[in-house]
Amino acid sequence: MAKKTTASKKDKKTAEKKKIKKPVIKEEKPKKTPVKKTKEPKTISKTTDAKKTKKIKKETAKKPVKKETKKEEKAKKIKRKKTKKEEKPVEITIVPKPKTVEEPKGHKELREEILKILKDEYLPLSIIDDIILIVIKEKGLKKKLKEIIKKSLESYKKTLIDPSEACGIVGAQSIGEPGTQMTMRTFHYAGVAEINVTLGLPRLIEIVDARSIPSTPMMNIYLRDEYCLNPDLAKEVANQIEITLLNDISDISADLTNLVIFIDPDKKSIEKKGIDMEDLLDAVKKIRKTDAKIEKNRVKISLDDPSYKKLLEVTETLKGLKVKGIDGIKRIIIRKEPDEGYVIYSEGSNLEKVLEIVGVDPYRTTTNDIQSVGRVLGIEAARNMIIQEAYNTLSEQGLNVDRRHIMIVADVMTSGGTIKAIGRHGVSKEKESVLSRAAFEITVAHLLQAARRGEVDHLGGVAENIIVGQPVNLGTGAVELVMKRTSGKKKKK
Amino acid sequence: MKKYTRFEKARIIGARALQISMGAPSLIKIPKDVIFPIDIAMLEFNEDAIPITVKNS
Repeated sequence: MAKKTTASKKDKKTAEKKKIKKPVIKEEKPKKTPVKKTKEPKTISKTTDAKKTKKIKKETAKKPVKKETKKEEKAKKIKRKKTKKEEKPVEITIVPKPKTVEEPKGHKELREEILKILKDEYLPLSIIDDIILIVIKEKGLKKKLKEIIKKSLESYKKTLIDPSEACGIVGAQSIGEPGTQMTMRTFHYAGVAEINVTLGLPRLIEIVDARSIPSTPMMNIYLRDEYCLNPDLAKEVANQIEITLLNDISDISADLTNLVIFIDPDKKSIEKKGIDMEDLLDAVKKIRKTDAKIEKNRVKISLDDPSYKKLLEVTETLKGLKVKGIDGIKRIIIRKEPDEGYVIYSEGSNLEKVLEIVGVDPYRTTTNDIQSVGRVLGIEAARNMIIQEAYNTLSEQGLNVDRRHIMIVADVMTSGGTIKAIGRHGVSKEKESVLSRAAFEITVAHLLQAARRGEVDHLGGVAENIIVGQPVNLGTGAVELVMKRTSGKKKKK
Repeated sequence: MKKYTRFEKARIIGARALQISMGAPSLIKIPKDVIFPIDIAMLEFNEDAIPITVKNS
């Protein structure tokens, strides 16, 4: 990984600057939401931290209370159910409304002023944004604007690194060293909001390997507007998301003498989930070569060509039949967060479908399935997700790794437009140089293939040059000296 | 004087120190107690007296 980054140092730097800018632009527009976004992970981790220690003791006492309130909410929700259906078509038109919040006037003026002070100097947009936010908050700071910018310029320049610095290797070491401590401390961790989540080293490996499905997929589903304030509405959204199988809400019994199947829905759970008999019938009708009818309070299923074997087969499929909800989302927990209102946490993830649900806030809803983020929201979003997930897993363990080291990892993984794993199957496989690939893993196969194809190695990277015995094109090795022209010498003196 | 990165500075001083160690005359006046070639090269570098620059690739 390091080798690749170092090769095109300058491009990387500029690329990174651009990338730094991008999220900033996002932050500009939907002003309210992203500000919260940055806070979210913190609050979550705080609650978990606090709970890990405190909850263990209080858990037994707290849990029963929570359950009771939930039951009450469920009861209330049932009444709401009917009104929801009427709202639905109206709401759908509102959902895609883009939140293009324009920058407030004061911000714009301040920005121009800052740019004037900066003149030819450069400060990243994100830093300017931060300065604007803080200066607007505290009135007295406006007079000291010049000084603020001078200081921030100073410390910004301090953090810049020289061209041909081996930033990739530094990054790899900076993540690797804390990683060794992680191994010793923990392997599996349980319990954010009663949902099991893989954390620690296994999770970090998962991120870096770009697995298509994480071992514990999970979503944080944030709700919009009134949905996050009203517990009944939140419940409704949750019901639409959580998968409901036919077996969960009804008794399926096969009548062997008449070769028919009866489905007796459990009234309570049906009401709780907001399902009526028509929904049930629709779901059951999807099974081929059967006919379903509603008979009083049950659904009767008869076969087109009745046979004992077929009957049992159909009964089996009925048990696993989805009546409502989204595939892959197994369990749901609704919690009231201090500043957020109601937030839905789900076990299992299906970003595509969840974002379509009315009431879900598509701007803040997240999943830990990075591949699906890349699929649905694009490669930039995936990059940000990698950074955030890796950073959170590291800091959750109390390891402070600078964001920029992780950014390099994320950049290397996503720069090709798809999410590539770090290792033999991803990044290393696509290296241009034969020797560099051979130096990593499966040496013989690579050399053999290269010989067969007649590949040329341009000795651009680190590993190749070391193998050949040349100075590496990095740091001091990248500098080429020439004689100074005499005319220049006199002038300067 | 052009601003050099720390890698460039190292290379320039290194190259000049090698010359001095092999007997090259110093390009500026140097205090008598400075006899270490790298120290001399550094003094010269600070005075911008070394006739070496970096090739821009």
